[in-house]
Amino acid sequence: MDASTLERWLNRFRYRLTSPQFIISVLLLVALFYLILVPLYGIIDRTITWGDTDIRMSREAVPGQYTLFHWKNILLGRAAKKFFYEPLVNAFFTGSIAAVLALLVGGILSWLITRTDMPGKHLLRPVLTIPYIIPAFAIALAWGALFRSPRVGGLPGLFEFVFGIAPPLWLSYGPVPIIITMAIHYCPFVLLLVSGALATIDSQLEESAELLGASRWVILRKITFPIVAPGFLSAFVLTFGKTIGTFALPYLLGGPIRYHTLATMLFSSFSLGLEPIAYILALILIVITALVVYLSSRFLGKNLRRFETVSGKGFKGQPTLLGSWRWPLCLMVWAFALVTAIFPIGLLTYQSIMLIDGRYNLSNLTLHYWIGQSNSDIAFGEPGVLHNPIILGATWNSIKLAAFSSVFCAFLGLLIAYIIIRDRRSWVSTLLDQVSFVPFLFPGIALGAMYLSMFAAQHGPIPALYGTFSLLVLIAVIKRLPYSVRTGASAVTQIGQELEEAAELEGASWFQRMRRIVAPLATSGVVAGLMVSFVGIMRELSLIILLITPTTRVLMTLGFRYAEEDQIQLGNTLVLLVTFITILGELLVWWLGKSRLTRLHEKQMDLER
Amino acid sequence: MGLSIEISDLKKTYGEVTALDQVNLTIKAGEFIVLLGPSGCGKTTLLRCIAGLERPNQGEIIIGEQVVFSSQRGITVAPGKRQVGMVFQGYALWPHLAVYENIGFGLRLQKIPRREVQQRVDQVLQDLGMEGLGERYPSELSGGQQQRVAVARLLATKPPVFLMDEPLSNLDARLRLDMRSELKRLHHDTGVTTIYVTHDQTEAMTLASCVVVMKDGRIQQIAPPREIYYKPANLFVAEFVGMPRINLLPARAVQQNGSYWLEIDDFKLSAPEIPPRDGVVAAVRPEDVRIFLEPEPGALEFQVYSVLPSGPELFIQARRRTRTIIIRETRQLDLKMDQPIWIKINPSDINLYDQISGVLLTSE
Repeated sequence: MDASTLERWLNRFRYRLTSPQFIISVLLLVALFYLILVPLYGIIDRTITWGDTDIRMSREAVPGQYTLFHWKNILLGRAAKKFFYEPLVNAFFTGSIAAVLALLVGGILSWLITRTDMPGKHLLRPVLTIPYIIPAFAIALAWGALFRSPRVGGLPGLFEFVFGIAPPLWLSYGPVPIIITMAIHYCPFVLLLVSGALATIDSQLEESAELLGASRWVILRKITFPIVAPGFLSAFVLTFGKTIGTFALPYLLGGPIRYHTLATMLFSSFSLGLEPIAYILALILIVITALVVYLSSRFLGKNLRRFETVSGKGFKGQPTLLGSWRWPLCLMVWAFALVTAIFPIGLLTYQSIMLIDGRYNLSNLTLHYWIGQSNSDIAFGEPGVLHNPIILGATWNSIKLAAFSSVFCAFLGLLIAYIIIRDRRSWVSTLLDQVSFVPFLFPGIALGAMYLSMFAAQHGPIPALYGTFSLLVLIAVIKRLPYSVRTGASAVTQIGQELEEAAELEGASWFQRMRRIVAPLATSGVVAGLMVSFVGIMRELSLIILLITPTTRVLMTLGFRYAEEDQIQLGNTLVLLVTFITILGELLVWWLGKSRLTRLHEKQMDLER
Repeated sequence: MGLSIEISDLKKTYGEVTALDQVNLTIKAGEFIVLLGPSGCGKTTLLRCIAGLERPNQGEIIIGEQVVFSSQRGITVAPGKRQVGMVFQGYALWPHLAVYENIGFGLRLQKIPRREVQQRVDQVLQDLGMEGLGERYPSELSGGQQQRVAVARLLATKPPVFLMDEPLSNLDARLRLDMRSELKRLHHDTGVTTIYVTHDQTEAMTLASCVVVMKDGRIQQIAPPREIYYKPANLFVAEFVGMPRINLLPARAVQQNGSYWLEIDDFKLSAPEIPPRDGVVAAVRPEDVRIFLEPEPGALEFQVYSVLPSGPELFIQARRRTRTIIIRETRQLDLKMDQPIWIKINPSDINLYDQISGVLLTSE
C-alpha cells in the first residue's frame, strides 16, 4: 500500500468517523450487543460450565471447568423424561392444537368481519380483540373460577355450583383447559393477522370468477382461500411461536396436576435452584422460536411476496351476501364474543366481590377486597385495593415501568429504524437491523432467565442490577425493541428522504434535522406504537416474573402471587386493574388513530419478513 | 450572480451498477444547463453528486473557487456548505411547517434575526405573487402554489447555484408551460448558474442555454439545443431527441460521376459528401422530407400508409415495400390511405452515422 492509497483510505475513514450518525450507530450496536447477545452467550456458557452449587448434583463438579454434564443430564439422564421430554411433548401438543384452533376460529371470524354483510361487524371487531388485550393470566383465573374442582384441593367453581356435580378433572386442569384458553387468547391475534390479508384482496378477482358463473362456495375455495393461504400459514406459524412459550396459562391450569410445558418447567427449575436445567430449557425454547420464525420467513417469504403483488388495490367491491345465514351467524359470533371476551371479565369481577370464594348467594357479596380496611378475619388481614400499600405500590410500579419503558423504547426504536432505513448500505445498519430483531426470538421467560444470569452479580463494568427497577425497564425495552423498531420504520418510511435532503442543503446539521424534521413528522406514528408498547408491558408477566423482588413488584406479578397463594379475590382485583388499564390504553390508541390501530397491530405482528 | 462549475472524471457506482462513468463537464457562470436523458441514465445522480447528497467514488467537483469534492485529496464538503440550492421533484416542502417557516428555514439556520428573515420571506413571496399565503401549510396549497413555494425557498438564501430535479414533472400540462417561462425569466433576472434535470426534451429545448444528453451514466453530447437537434453527435441522441422520432435508413454510400449517392433498399438518394463505404445510417428529421402529390423529377414514389392530423400539422406514415418513413407536413393536404406520393430529401438535411459505433460521419 503506497502513501497516497493509505491517505485516501484514512480520508475515507475520517469522513465516516466524523458523521454523528455513524458514531451513534456504533454506540447503539455496542449497547445492543451487550444487552442481547452477551446474555445469550452467558446462559450458553453457564450450561457447559460447572457452577458453584453444582456440587449437589455431581461429586465430580469443579466450579469453573467446562463440562457437558448438564446437557447429558437433561437429554439422557434419569430426570430427562420429567424435566425435558414430557414438557417438550406437552408444549408441542398444547401449542400446536391451540394454534390450529385459534387459526380456524380466527380465520372464520376474520372472513365474516371483513368480507361479508354480517350485521354489527364494526362493533364486533374491538370486542373480539379483548381476549388478546387482557392478560392471558386473567383467562386462566376465569377458567379456574368456572371449573375449579375440590378434588385437587380448593373450592368448587361456578360449574359445580350451577350443575351440582363436579366437572371432570380433564376439564378443570391439564391439556384441555390449557389448549382452550390459549386458543381463546390468541384467536384475536390470528383475527388481526388474517383480516389484514383478507382486506387487501382485490374483490375484482372474486367478481370475475362470479361473472364466469362460479358459486360462492367455489369462489371461496378456489379463489379466496388460495390467495390468503400463505397469510394463513404464516399466521399459524407465528401463533405457534407464541403458544409454545406461553407461561401463565399452562402454569395455572397445568401446575396443580403437575402438567408441565417447557416454559413452566423452566420456571419451576429456578424455584428448585436447578439453574443449568432452567438455562438449557430457555435455550431450547429460543431455538424452537427461532426455527419457527425462520420457517415462516424462508418458506413463506416468497409466497407472501407473490401474494402481496396480487393485492395492492384493496377491498372495494360488494361484501359477500350471507342471505338467510346472516342473523344466525351474527348471533353465533356475538355469543362467542360474549363467552370469550365479556364473560371472563364479568366472572372475575363477581368473584372479587364474594366475601368467601365459592359461595354464590347474594349475602356473601362485599366490596371488602376493593375498599375494605385490614381485617384479620379476612384474607390474612390484607386490606382491600384502596387501602393496601403493597397493591398501591405495585400499581404505581406497573404504570411507572410501562411508561418509562415504552417511552424509552419508542425513542430507541425510532433512532434504530432511522439508521436502518436511511443508511441501508452500510454494515453497521445491517448489523443493527439484525441484532435489534433478535429479542423477537426470545420467549419472555427465556429472556427473563438470561437477564437473571447476566445481572445477578457484577460482570465487568456492569453492576449487579438484580432487584433494581432499572433492570425491569431494561428488559422491557429490549423485549419490545423489535416491535418499536418496526413501528419506527413505518414512521420513518413515510418521511420522504427529500424532506431531509432539502434541510441538509439549507445547512441543517444531523441533530438539527433529527430535531426539526424527523422527530416532528414521526411523532404521530411513534406515539401510537408507544401506547401499544405501554399496554404490552403493563400485562407482561413471564418476562419479569424471574426478576421481581418485593420492592419492585408490579400488578401482574403480585396478582400472580396472590393467585398462587389462593387469595383468589385479591388476585382477581389486580388482574382486573391491569385489564382495566390495558383496555383504557387500547381505547386511547384507537382514539389516536382509528385506522392506524389495525395497521399498527398488523405491522407489529407482521414481524416475519 | 452565479458560479462556474467544473466536474472532472466523476465516477459513481452502486455495488455492481455504474451510475456515472468518466463524467467531465464544465459549466460557465450564469449558464442554464439541462441534463437530459431517459430514466436511469444518471442525470439525477450527477445532480445529487453536485449537491453533495451522493458521494462519488472518484473524481473532482469544483464550484466557483471551492473544491467541494475530490477523491484524490479526500475532500467532501457537506451539502449545506456548497452554496447550492435545490428544487426537488416532489418539492420536499416540510408538511409540519407553514409556508413562512418553510421558506425561512435556511435563513433561521444562518442565525439571521427573526425580523430580517420575515422581511426577506415577505419579499420573496411578493416577488412570486404569493402574498398572504405565508400562514398556510403545504397541504393547503395547490400543486402550482407548492411549486412556487419550493422556488421561493430556493431563492430565500440567494445561493449562486440552482439545482432543479424535474421540478415541473408533477404539474399538469398547462401549468407546466406557465412555470417554464417563469423559470426562464427567473434565470434571466438572477443570472444564477442553473442545472436542471429532465427527461422531457421539449423542456430541455425551451429552457437550456446548453443541453447535456446522457445515457448509461455517460455524457453523449454537450451542445446548445439547436445543435443537439440538427447535429446529433450520435444515433442515440438523434433518436432520443425529436418528436416524432427521426427516420433512420440503413444505407451504402457510393460515388458516381463525381456525385455522392446513398443506396437504400431499391432506391437511391442524393447524399452529402462522404467517402464511399458500407454500413452507414442516414438520419432524416420528419419535417425535412418534402412531399409532392404528382410525379417529380428525382423524387421517389411512396404510398400513404396512414395519416395522423394533429391540429396545425400532419404526421404521415408512408411506405415503399417494407420501408416506412414518417413525414411531418405543415400544409393541410387531403391525403387518402394507399394514395401514391413522391418525396424528396435535401442532401444537406441528411446526417450520416456509422452503423456500428453510431458516431456522426458528416461534419461541417
